[in-house]
Amino acid sequence: MKRRGTFLLVAALVLSMAGVLFAGGAKEQKEIVLNFPSFWVGQDSKAGPVAELITKFNADNAGKIKIVVEENPSPDPYRTKINASLAAGAVPDLFIFNPDPTSFQYYDGEILMDFTEELKGEWAKDFQEGYIQASTKKGRTKTVPYEIGITPIWYNSELFKKAGISEFPKTFDEFWVACDKLKAAGIVPTSQMTGGVNAWTSMLWYSHILASIGGPDVWNRPLTHPQYVEAAKILLRLYSDGNTTKDAVGGDAGVSGGHYLAGRTAIFINGPWYIGRAKKDAPAVHAATQLAFAPAVKGGTYGGLIGFQLSNLAAANTKDQAKREATLKFFRWMTKPENVKMISERSGAMFALKYQLGDNVDPLLKRFVEISNQAKFIVPHFQSQYPVHVTQELGQAIGAMVLGKATPEEFVQFLIRANK
Amino acid sequence: MLYETKRSLFRPLGIILKWSILLFFLLFTFVPLGWLVLSSFKTNFEFETNPFALPAVWQFGNYVKAIQISGLPRLFFNSIVVSSFSTVLNLLVTAMAAFVLSRLRFPFQNAILTTLTAGVLIPIIALMVPYFSIIRALGLYDTLWGLIVTYASINIPISVFLLHGFMRTLPRELEEAAVMDGCTLFQRFYRIVLPLSQLGIVTAGTFVFLYSWNEFLYAMLLTSSVASRTIQLGIRFFTSQFFIDYTAMYAAIVITILPSVVVYILFHDKIVRGLTSGAVKG
Amino acid sequence: MGKAALHRVPWRGIILFLLPVCILYFLFFVYPLGFVFIIGCTQWNGVTAPQFIGLKNYIDLLQDPTFLLSVRNNFIWALSLGFGQIPLAALVAMILARKPRGWKFLRTMYFLPNVISQVAISMMWIAIYNAEYGALNKLLELMGYAQLARNWLGQIETALPAIILQQVLYIGYFMIIILAGAMAIPSSFYEAAEIDGASVVQQELYITLPLLRGILVTSMTLAMAYGLRHFEATFLMTAGGPANSTSVMGIQLFNNMSFLRYGRANAIGSALIVLGVLVIVVLRNTLGRSESISEVQQ
Repeated sequence: MKRRGTFLLVAALVLSMAGVLFAGGAKEQKEIVLNFPSFWVGQDSKAGPVAELITKFNADNAGKIKIVVEENPSPDPYRTKINASLAAGAVPDLFIFNPDPTSFQYYDGEILMDFTEELKGEWAKDFQEGYIQASTKKGRTKTVPYEIGITPIWYNSELFKKAGISEFPKTFDEFWVACDKLKAAGIVPTSQMTGGVNAWTSMLWYSHILASIGGPDVWNRPLTHPQYVEAAKILLRLYSDGNTTKDAVGGDAGVSGGHYLAGRTAIFINGPWYIGRAKKDAPAVHAATQLAFAPAVKGGTYGGLIGFQLSNLAAANTKDQAKREATLKFFRWMTKPENVKMISERSGAMFALKYQLGDNVDPLLKRFVEISNQAKFIVPHFQSQYPVHVTQELGQAIGAMVLGKATPEEFVQFLIRANK
Repeated sequence: MLYETKRSLFRPLGIILKWSILLFFLLFTFVPLGWLVLSSFKTNFEFETNPFALPAVWQFGNYVKAIQISGLPRLFFNSIVVSSFSTVLNLLVTAMAAFVLSRLRFPFQNAILTTLTAGVLIPIIALMVPYFSIIRALGLYDTLWGLIVTYASINIPISVFLLHGFMRTLPRELEEAAVMDGCTLFQRFYRIVLPLSQLGIVTAGTFVFLYSWNEFLYAMLLTSSVASRTIQLGIRFFTSQFFIDYTAMYAAIVITILPSVVVYILFHDKIVRGLTSGAVKG
Repeated sequence: MGKAALHRVPWRGIILFLLPVCILYFLFFVYPLGFVFIIGCTQWNGVTAPQFIGLKNYIDLLQDPTFLLSVRNNFIWALSLGFGQIPLAALVAMILARKPRGWKFLRTMYFLPNVISQVAISMMWIAIYNAEYGALNKLLELMGYAQLARNWLGQIETALPAIILQQVLYIGYFMIIILAGAMAIPSSFYEAAEIDGASVVQQELYITLPLLRGILVTSMTLAMAYGLRHFEATFLMTAGGPANSTSVMGIQLFNNMSFLRYGRANAIGSALIVLGVLVIVVLRNTLGRSESISEVQQ
C-alpha cells in the first residue's frame, strides 16, 4: 500500500515534469509566450472586456503569440509583487505600471522596454494630447499611457433640493453657506477620509483646492510655497464644524463612499469607475448625482479639473527582436481606439486615447466626458506629483491637523519632511 | 472545621467567577464568527452602512459568487496539499533536530538551539526579495513545492521552540534502558522519543498547518498560475482597484473555514487521545 | 568499553539529524538575514545598483520621530501581549484543564478566531469602533454613557489601546499551548493535594503554576516576539494612523519597501531583530530559563 503510494507519487512527479519540459520545448519553436501579471481580473470592472480582447488577440495570433494572464486581483499586493520581482531582477514580460514619481524610478535602469521611437510615429496620433509627454522622463518613453481618470465633485441634487440649494456653489464663500443649509436640513455636507493608503477623497479635495489657488501651474511650485498652507486651512474647515462625518479620521474609501451612497453626505469626489457601483447599490443616489467643478477660493480660478494617468502599460526590456515585436503588437491592439472604446463603454473607465463614446452609455459617464470638455484646464492630483511616501504622510498629516495636533503650517512641514 | 465553611462560602462565588470568565471569552470569540456569517448574507451597501443589522433580503447569491470565482476547488485542493506537506516536512526536520538538541549533550548545543529559535524574531515581510530569488534559483517558482518548502522553513523556529520544550520534559529512564539494549540513535528517536512527544508534535503541527493555510503574501509572491495557488488568493479575488466586494469575500471565507474547523475538531480529539495514553504510561 | 560507547558523542548521528534543519535554516534565515543586514547599509531602490552608505540609514532612523514612536509602540505591544495576553490565556487554560462542562467545545471556540483570516477580524473591529454606526458607541449609548462615545480608531489617545485590546483578548493561540502543558500534569499531584485539604486556588497556585513555569516563560517570550514583529492587524485597521500614532516597526518596514527605499527598510528589519534579541536576553535573565520545567519535575 505504502509502496504503491510512493510509486504513484514519483510517477506523477516525473510525468508532470516531463509535461513541463515538452511543453516548453514545443513553445520555443512555435510561438512567443508573454506573461502578463494583471489586476484587471476578478471583480475589476474592466476584467470582462480586457479578457475578451486578450482572447481575441491570442486567437488572431494563434501559433505565433500567446498572452498568458497571471491573475493578481488586488492592486496593492500586485504592486508589492512587481516591486519585489524587479528588485530580484525578474521583470515580468508585460505588466501594469503605476505612473507616480516612485514608480518612475524604474526608468533609471535598463529593465523596461523603450517605446520612445514608436510613440513618436503614427501610433502617437491615437493618443490624447499630453499623456505621452507625461510618460516621458529624460527623453525616454518607457511605458505606454493607458487608463486615465478625472475626478470632479459629485453632489446629490436631491439632498441639495431638500436643503433649499438650487445649484452647486461656485466659490468657497457660497460653499460654506450651502454647508450650513445642508446641516440645518440634517445632512452631513461632505465625505472625507484620512485612511486607506492615500486618504483618497481628502487628497482629491486638497488637489482641487490647490488647483483653484495655483491654476494650471499649481504643481510647478515647491512645497514651501504658501499655497499649500492656504489650501490646508480650507481642508481643515471641511473637517470642522460638522462639515464631514465623525468617522472621517481613520475612515477609508468604504467609509467615504458608503456615506455618500447611503445619502448621509451630499458631496463626494471620485472617478468614473465608481459609477457602476453607485448604480448597482444606490440607484436613487446615482440618479440624483450631478457633477461640478470645485468651488473657487477667493482670488482663485474656477473651472479647473483634476485628471491624471491611472495605469500605463509596461514591458520587460529584451534583446529578442521577435519578443519586442510581439509586445508592440499586443500594446497596439490594446490601445486601438475601437478597443478602448469598447472597454470604456462597458466598464466606465476612461483612456488616454482618442475615441468617441456611443449613445447607449450611462448618463453619468456622459457627464464625465462633458465636464472634462468644459474644463478650463486639467491638472493631475497631488498623489501623482509626489513620491508615495509623501502621499502616505498626507493622510497622517491631515489626521494630526484635524485632531488639533498640528497647525496648517505644521501640516505642510510634515509633508516637507517626508519629501526630503 | 472553620476552613471547611470558608470553602463552601467561596465555592459558589468561584463558580460564578469561573463561568463569567469562560462566557466572556466565548462571547468574544463567537462574535466575529457570527458577524462574519451574518455579513456574508448582506449586500455591500448594507454592510458598509449598517454593519450590525440583519440583511433585508438574505443574499445567498454571495455564496454562488464565491463558489464561481476562478478555480476555487482547485485552490482549495492546493491549500490542503501545501498545508499538509509543509506541516509534515516541518515536523520531520524539526523533530529530528529537537530530539538531538534536547536528549543528547554535545558542544555548541545551546548555540545551535538559540540560533534556530531566535528566528521567531525575524520579520518575515522583510525577506520578500531574498525569498523570491531563492525560490527561483531552486526552480520552484510557481510550484506547490515552492510554497511547501517556504512554509516549512518559516516555521522552523517556532516548531523547534515548542518541540524542544516538550521533549526535554520526557523521563530519561526509558531511553537509558534502550541505549543499554544497543538501540541506535535513530531507533531511540523513532521508537521512544517520537511516540512520547505526540502532544508536542500535534500542537506544533496545528500552528504550522494554520500558518500555511492563512498565509497570503508569499502565496502571492511565489506563484503565478491557478495550478499552484492557494485559497487565500481566491479570497482576494473580491478586491479590485476601487472596490472591495466584502460580502462575497466573507462568503468565500466562510466556505473556506468550514473544512478547517472540521479538521481542527478531529485533530483535537487526537490530542486528547494522545494525552490520555501518555498519562497511562506515565 | 560499553560505558565509553554511552558517553561518546555520536557525531555522525547528530550531524545527520541536524543537517536537514540546518540546510533549510541556512536558505531561509541565514542567507536572507545576511541580505537584510547588508542592504541595510546601502541606498537601494531595487532598480539601479545599491550604494554602500555605512550606518547612515540607522542614523536617519534615530532622527526620525515616526520611527522612534513605532519602536515605543512595539514595546507597548510586546508588554501588553506578554503581560496581558499570557496571564489571561493561563487563567482560562487552568480553568479548562479541570474539564468543566463543555470544555472541549469551549477550547475549540476559543481557538476559532485563529482559523479566520485576519482581514475579516480586522474589518469587524473597524465596524465595532466606527464613530457613526459602530457597535461600541451604540452600546455605550444604551448603557447611558453617551458622552464616552467617540471615534475610537480616529483619535490619538484611543487608537493604539483599541487595536491592542482586541488583539490581547484573542487568547486562543497561547491558551492551547498552556492547556497542553497543564493537562500533562499527572492528576495524582492534585489528588494528593486534595487529601491534604488544599483549595482549588491553592492547588493552582502551588502546583500548576510552578509546573507550568517553563511553558509560561516560553509563551511569554513568543508573545513578546510577536509584539515586536506585529504588523497585520494594525496595517489593516489604521495603517499606522491617525498622525502615525499607531505605527509600528513592521509598518515602517513595509512602507519603506513600497517606497522603493530598500536600504532603509532593511535597516528597520535589522533594528527589529537586534531589539528582539535584547528583549529575549533580558527576559531570560529576569524570568529564568524556559527549560526550568524539567528541573521542577525531576
